[in-house]
Amino acid sequence: MTDKHTHDPLREEGHPVKDYRSGLPAVPPSSDITSADLSSTASRTLWGDAWRRLRRNKLAMAGLVWAILIVIVAVTADFWVPQRYGDPEGLDTSKVVERMLLEPSSEHPFGTDRLGRDIFARVIYGARISLAVGIVAESISVFIGLIMGALAAYYGKWWDTLIMRLADVFLAFPYILFAIALIAVLGRGYINVFIAIGILGWPTIARVFRSSILSVKENEYVDAARALGASDLRIMARHIMPNAVAPIIVYATMSVGGAILTEAALSFLGMGVQPPTPSWGLMLSEARAFLFTAPWLMIYPGAAILTTVLAFVLLGDGLRDALDVKLKD
Amino acid sequence: METLLEVKDLKTYFTTRDGIVKAVDGVSFDLHRGETLGVVGESGSGKSVTAMSIMRLIQGPKGKIEGGSIRFRDQDVLAMSEEEVRHLRGDRIAMIFQDPMTSLNPVFRVGDQIAESLIIHKSMKKKAAFQRAVELLDLVGIPKPESRAKDYPHQFSGGMRQRAMIAMALACDPDILIADEPTTALDVTIQAQILELMMELQQRTGSAIIMITHDLGVVADMADRVLVMYAGRHVESGTADEVFYKPLHPYTWGLLDSLPRHDIDEKGELCPIQGQPPSLISVPPGCAFSPRCPYAQPICRTDAPVLRVIEGGHAAACHFAGDPTFQRGVVDCAGVTS
Repeated sequence: MTDKHTHDPLREEGHPVKDYRSGLPAVPPSSDITSADLSSTASRTLWGDAWRRLRRNKLAMAGLVWAILIVIVAVTADFWVPQRYGDPEGLDTSKVVERMLLEPSSEHPFGTDRLGRDIFARVIYGARISLAVGIVAESISVFIGLIMGALAAYYGKWWDTLIMRLADVFLAFPYILFAIALIAVLGRGYINVFIAIGILGWPTIARVFRSSILSVKENEYVDAARALGASDLRIMARHIMPNAVAPIIVYATMSVGGAILTEAALSFLGMGVQPPTPSWGLMLSEARAFLFTAPWLMIYPGAAILTTVLAFVLLGDGLRDALDVKLKD
Repeated sequence: METLLEVKDLKTYFTTRDGIVKAVDGVSFDLHRGETLGVVGESGSGKSVTAMSIMRLIQGPKGKIEGGSIRFRDQDVLAMSEEEVRHLRGDRIAMIFQDPMTSLNPVFRVGDQIAESLIIHKSMKKKAAFQRAVELLDLVGIPKPESRAKDYPHQFSGGMRQRAMIAMALACDPDILIADEPTTALDVTIQAQILELMMELQQRTGSAIIMITHDLGVVADMADRVLVMYAGRHVESGTADEVFYKPLHPYTWGLLDSLPRHDIDEKGELCPIQGQPPSLISVPPGCAFSPRCPYAQPICRTDAPVLRVIEGGHAAACHFAGDPTFQRGVVDCAGVTS
């Protein structure tokens, strides 16, 4: 056994030849490759794969389509809504009486409110506020949460303790109460609603990201990268982050719905968007008095909140499955 | 022959709440260019920790290399800065991990992962490195390497992943390849292919291999020299022929007796070593193997045997090794010897 190599001329010459660089024919193909392996298509990317999986999820696609539709309608609203349905904020005092509280009709598809404003127009303009809250507030949460979570997971020790206890303190407060308190300090207005919801959202993101990093860190491919001589920075950026970020994408998408709900709740309570700016929550609040006489005042903004929140939750749920690389297809 | 690696009296300890775990406690060996060293022992005998120590992958604060020396081509590995060690890892000393299913990053294409060490160590451009990765995949016997390099790890079977891991390890043409149970997670036919591939590549590149395994069959196939470990200690070492045909240590005898053999026409019953390996926190006084050793004498339970060279390069840590009257008995499976 000890002389098993002696017939090899390379060894006897003190192996000067690194001959595999010259493109030697390779070792014969292994038989452990099944035909299924060979049928794999050419180039695919991680995101391409995720997209293919997402596309097959009908509910998630419905959510995505609905979210995109609302974005398009909200963005383009200025070009067609006021012309056709009237100013969502303005008051035409001369005709209030004949135009107030009209039932849905072809002229006013969702009816009108007590000041004669078109509900359809107000729902669409309300989408602007809701989407802005969802996206801006969630971005603030994600930004703070990712930094905090990464600091806690990488540096550990007292950083970890400090940040996680701070997160616990945030989570221990009743959410809406905390939001109201923040707005009381910051002042009313929708910019402050963004900030308040954004600040309140970070602890969960930080926790999810921290635990995700900690579990990814234990993976053998992180050891393998270290054994390859990769620097700490490279290991974090290339091996840990991409694997740890998927839960954040999922969680953030679902939380967009949560942020929209919180804005609606704050506006309903009069702490958020101020009249006459249309906001779904505010519209619900104004509709309370007409719950039985003019139910369309409540039904349409309520349906808008329901469907939009549901759309983001379904999309997030679909993303969770789509981003799981281990789910083979 | 050029000595690549010299490990002397290596001690790696872990501090835990229950006490100090002496995972590696006095291991010594040399590794020459083009040679294969087999490291064998039961699970938990310190084989992997030895490998991790060589690459300085033991991470504080719990684990620490407490003593001994590791020299790679006359450089003191233990005295290197973290930066210097990084240039050693992956470039001069590469490692193949046990489980190919978890050692590849699921979010990167296989080709990118192989290219990574070339980008790190050889400052290659991304495109050139990827091209090289394709060549390496071809070298390790992956068909259609151009398209397979663009696949993700989950699109590879276990055997193919291990081939990809080998390609990764070979990327920078390392002097030493540490293979930590490279075939344990694979089924038997694939095991044979992977081992064959490793031997073939070794002949072409002339790199030295440290083959860590608990499979004596693998060692018999591949190794030039063998190091037997028990409870973190170096119990026997020598050429593969010496260790297999003239084993000196009762633990090695026990290991060999636990193997199924087709050349001995006897009852055909396997005789495992009785008992369990000791906890590394409280290794028995004296010889760590004494509680399980059918030949143990009073001295074995009080004095720890020193590793002695018996003849040539054949060394064993047993009080009685080399004593002509101390012979391997015929083992009865009740654990009694005659």
